[in-house]
Amino acid sequence: MAREGESRSFRRKFCKLCLDKVERIDYKDDRRLARFITDRGKIVPRRISGTCARHQSQITEAVKRARILALLPFTTDQYR
Amino acid sequence: MKLYETTIIYDPSLEETRINEEIDKVTQPITAAGGEVIDVQRWGKKKLAYIIRKRRDGTYVHVKHKSPPTLIAEMDRRFRLNESVLRHLSIIAPKDEPLPEVLPGEGGEPDAMATPAPAVVED
Repeated sequence: MAREGESRSFRRKFCKLCLDKVERIDYKDDRRLARFITDRGKIVPRRISGTCARHQSQITEAVKRARILALLPFTTDQYR
Repeated sequence: MKLYETTIIYDPSLEETRINEEIDKVTQPITAAGGEVIDVQRWGKKKLAYIIRKRRDGTYVHVKHKSPPTLIAEMDRRFRLNESVLRHLSIIAPKDEPLPEVLPGEGGEPDAMATPAPAVVED
């Protein structure tokens, strides 16, 4: 994930979804959503991903729906 | 009448004909209640992100429909009683209509079984 190091001076994080002009995030779009969950299946917080509030809340809802439909994992524990 | 999207995951062992029957069981009450079935998509057999009732795969069916809200509760009840339904989800479809239709996992997952391009059937 985009972790800004100190050395990287002051680079502002930006919302990738705003850049792409994404209007709505679909819960069926599991490939796009996969970018916003960690490898443990957690939703990446805004402070890490830099997503704007609007898109973050859409991501959250979409991820939760996708989890119900087993498109995304709740956790990866069961495969260990 | 509201616009809904219902996604159902069926037991992967069900055959094509059984799936068709099951879909009928979903669509018929909709039209009977004065609703309208707008689109039926068959996503085919997909790998589940986690095991549900000891199944690793599921047959996905996605239905867009206009229905009276009371029917959704009834649908939910029937899905729960139906042993061949692994999972189901009904949501109110987003208002501002046409969003680019994305089928989950389109060529995304590393070789997610030999599913010959999720069959989209329009009725």
